[in-house]
Amino acid sequence: MYGRKTTEDRIVDGVNYTLLGMIAFLTLYPFYYVLIASFNLGEDTAKGGLYLLPRAFTLSNYTFFFKDPKWIDAFGVTALRTVVGTALSVLFTSLVAYGLAKPDLVLRKLYFLLVVVAMNVSGGLIAYYVVLRGIGLLNTFGVYVIPTMLNLFFLMIAISFFRDIPSDLAESARIDGAGETFIFLKIVLPVSLPLLATMALFLGSGQWNSWLDSAYFVQDQSLRTLAYRMMEVVNQTMIGSDSQAAQFTSKLGVTQFSVQVTAMVISVFPIMCVYPFLQKHFVQGMMLGSVKG
Amino acid sequence: MSKPLTATVSTPEQTKPRASDPDGFFRQFRKQLPFQIFVLLGIGFLLVFSYTPLFGILMAFKDYRITMGIQGIFTSSWVGLAYFREMVQDYNFPTLVRNTIELSLLKLVFSFPVPVLLAVMLNEVRRSAVKRFVQTASYLPHFISWVVVSGIATALFSADSGLVNDLLMSLHLIKKPLEVLTDPDSFMSLAVVSAVWKETGWWTIIFLAAIAGIDPQLYEAAAMDGAGRLKRIWHITLPGMKSAIVVMLILAIGNILGGGLAGSNFEQAVLFGNPLNSDKSQILQSYAFNVGLAQGRFAFATAIDLVQSAIALVLMLSANSAAKRFSGSGLY
Repeated sequence: MYGRKTTEDRIVDGVNYTLLGMIAFLTLYPFYYVLIASFNLGEDTAKGGLYLLPRAFTLSNYTFFFKDPKWIDAFGVTALRTVVGTALSVLFTSLVAYGLAKPDLVLRKLYFLLVVVAMNVSGGLIAYYVVLRGIGLLNTFGVYVIPTMLNLFFLMIAISFFRDIPSDLAESARIDGAGETFIFLKIVLPVSLPLLATMALFLGSGQWNSWLDSAYFVQDQSLRTLAYRMMEVVNQTMIGSDSQAAQFTSKLGVTQFSVQVTAMVISVFPIMCVYPFLQKHFVQGMMLGSVKG
Repeated sequence: MSKPLTATVSTPEQTKPRASDPDGFFRQFRKQLPFQIFVLLGIGFLLVFSYTPLFGILMAFKDYRITMGIQGIFTSSWVGLAYFREMVQDYNFPTLVRNTIELSLLKLVFSFPVPVLLAVMLNEVRRSAVKRFVQTASYLPHFISWVVVSGIATALFSADSGLVNDLLMSLHLIKKPLEVLTDPDSFMSLAVVSAVWKETGWWTIIFLAAIAGIDPQLYEAAAMDGAGRLKRIWHITLPGMKSAIVVMLILAIGNILGGGLAGSNFEQAVLFGNPLNSDKSQILQSYAFNVGLAQGRFAFATAIDLVQSAIALVLMLSANSAAKRFSGSGLY
């Protein structure tokens, strides 16, 4: 591009490629290590020296995971909240955005003020807890999917998206006597699929990864999420408590650590599956987000 | 900017305003009723989930108990600044403030320059396949939850099963395992390193976009004048990123107590924190949560929360006005 390679070019390239190679390795290897550890016999992993390939290949960690009612419940609750929570927030957020996108909306200044203030000021998590308790959402499945129904960041993105949709379609439907709800569901949403897909991917991965609400707003053991259960195990591994390890080893050669890495693989797997799609959309979304501040 | 000399009064187009409804407000409103209903559903939602908690701030000044419910926020008796006095006298308070500031500052100082450097490095790669591969790999951790990141940290660093300890021991570089996860002195490094690992690739995207906006002719002209690679980076790439760097820095400072650009301080404090390293891992936010929800001292916890959000709000507003001044006056 700029003529022949000079010595400086070679040195810069050499250093640069080496460093980038190290960065790629440091980013990816931890994921790889967790993956091979999940396919290795837990007792064997505990001996150390596992670096490149599973040494004592086994599926017992996965069999254990999918037989333990605690983990199955967590998996089910997390899958359900991801589906229901994502559907609710995509629909509700775009419905409100469709209303706000109407150009000559009466009181729109007031509405936008309320949205912007809510975006930037919060009463803190304790006050939030008191409100959740007051309206009876604590310790219910609803606490996972109802408070997340309106996402203010995507509300703003959806408003600008809807404003760019040509109004001819909706106008002609209106002349034919269609109601606004019908127009929203049958005309506006179908032409907004790229927007809906982006929202679903981001909100969905947020739901799937969520642990805080499960840790603080729920006591019912059957309502715990996958990320919460993982946090429990990680905490035990972190402080090196072996209280459960003994009971684990008696069956299948599974250890607390091998179950932990298996849970991690299972929890990362869906994200990896949608990652190529996430990638396609997020740059634009992030730009908007950072401009918003 | 000069004001127009003649003031024109614009009259909205309306047909026959009624005396009871001079602006045609209600007529308009009724005409847009479906839209208004959609919006009001959202506003109702905000009133419940954003604005009622905002009134919850009152708890910090009141003798509130959780059994009083939501209305107790308003009906309970005032205690003035009692909880704030209690907070300042709390023997944990100096430690909490120090940890909060230390964590926020360290994360800003170490995690902010890395994406800038990585963007410059990626820009120097001419093979697009290599560039794409490294970039795609680098922002993968952004989509993984902090729980999984803490799980990875245990897989690498735990004293009895961690990979790093295992490797160092077998190479005889250390005699006994490093207690990275439980030693209070290593908490800050753990938090900073994991934050850099998780978020660097994500913010690199912004800086790469800034580099993409630089006129390629500048590089060609510089090369013609004999500027080598490093000189071109120093005199063209970095100045070309200047405004992006300033804007992102202002945003990061505005949100510094939340964790800036490098992931949530609260989640890190909770997930990497444990009884063994709590001297360093407790910050104001996580302490408020513990005191409030585990010990049931809601009013006291709200007071701690309030102090922290007040500082955060001041930082955010001043960062915002700095950003406005910066982008308003322009660089050139």
